Amino acid sequence: MAKIRVGELDVHVQRLSLADPPAGSEAPIVVLIHGILYDSLASYYFTLGPTFAEEGMDVIMYDLRGHGRTTRPATRYRLEDHVEDLRLLLEKLEITRPVHLVGNSYGGSIAFGLAAAHPDRVASITAIEAEPPVPAWRHRLGEGLLQAKPWLATDEALAVIAEARGGHTARLSLAAGKLLQATTIAEDVLLSRTIDDDLAALQCPVLAFFGDESVLMEQVDHLRSTLADCHIVVLPGQGHSVLIERAAEISPVILDWVREGQAA
Amino acid sequence: MSTDTTLDATVVLADISAMLRALLDEYGLDDVEITRATKFHDDLELESIDLVGLSGRLRDHYGDKINFASFIADKELEEIIAVTVGELVDFVIDSLHQTEELQRG
Repeated sequence: MAKIRVGELDVHVQRLSLADPPAGSEAPIVVLIHGILYDSLASYYFTLGPTFAEEGMDVIMYDLRGHGRTTRPATRYRLEDHVEDLRLLLEKLEITRPVHLVGNSYGGSIAFGLAAAHPDRVASITAIEAEPPVPAWRHRLGEGLLQAKPWLATDEALAVIAEARGGHTARLSLAAGKLLQATTIAEDVLLSRTIDDDLAALQCPVLAFFGDESVLMEQVDHLRSTLADCHIVVLPGQGHSVLIERAAEISPVILDWVREGQAA
Repeated sequence: MSTDTTLDATVVLADISAMLRALLDEYGLDDVEITRATKFHDDLELESIDLVGLSGRLRDHYGDKINFASFIADKELEEIIAVTVGELVDFVIDSLHQTEELQRG
């Protein structure tokens, strides 16, 4: 499976599952949602995706609009646009059962967004270094992207990034800069619909991973005190790149949790 | 695949080179020399999303015997960036040989 027409987009989708699933049981459907700007479904395709499929999950990975191999329209990058893209993709794939969402960074915010807008579609959320789309999230991410937009367009920025983080990150930054320049993605974050800080809109179970060196650690208390059903795992000695750097550790935790949720 | 096939590294290298050229064509880069020492990232400037495309082409060509995703999943990020065409050729040949041995029982 490669490209699927969803609304105005040709969405790049990769679906993995066991060739011969055991009879009589429905495999849990797990949708893996990648992050913004630097990310694509490859982050899952080479980490959690194959393992989850081998363990009997029906795994769906896709590239967000503007990212990877999905169409890059110039506009409509608000959070609710990404949420609607996902809802339409599930519809197109004729998936009617509630799905387990796994979201990395901004992909987690999309997962929370879908669960808030369409609670009947979502069985559970696994948020990897991700925040619910509350007003403070919108302000922080939106301002960050607006600052990055002109900066990443400069040769100086790419030289600084290459020096500090290496050529690979510099090249990814160049690609991120192009996305920022070619679309309204930075502006649209600040226009995105948010959910209330009390997180009452989120009723499904949430498993959340944070790196203890990440700036998102300040989310932990808020999630713990507001979410009805929330399990939080903090990884010591870890920054924001939990998915890429700790996939082997978090993979069995997510699998167990999805299976428990499915059985309940 | 028949069990008496002699797997030739030259043939596999030519197959993989053709797949890479098809990928690079999409970028308008069709005139690149590809050898065993060619690095996917440094020399061909392929990103991880391109490797997803390569994975699909490998599966189309060789069938499910080649699990490129698990080949990559076993590696650290730095190792993935440093992967050469030759390493992939060896992996393909190993995978095909294993399948042949299984078929022989």
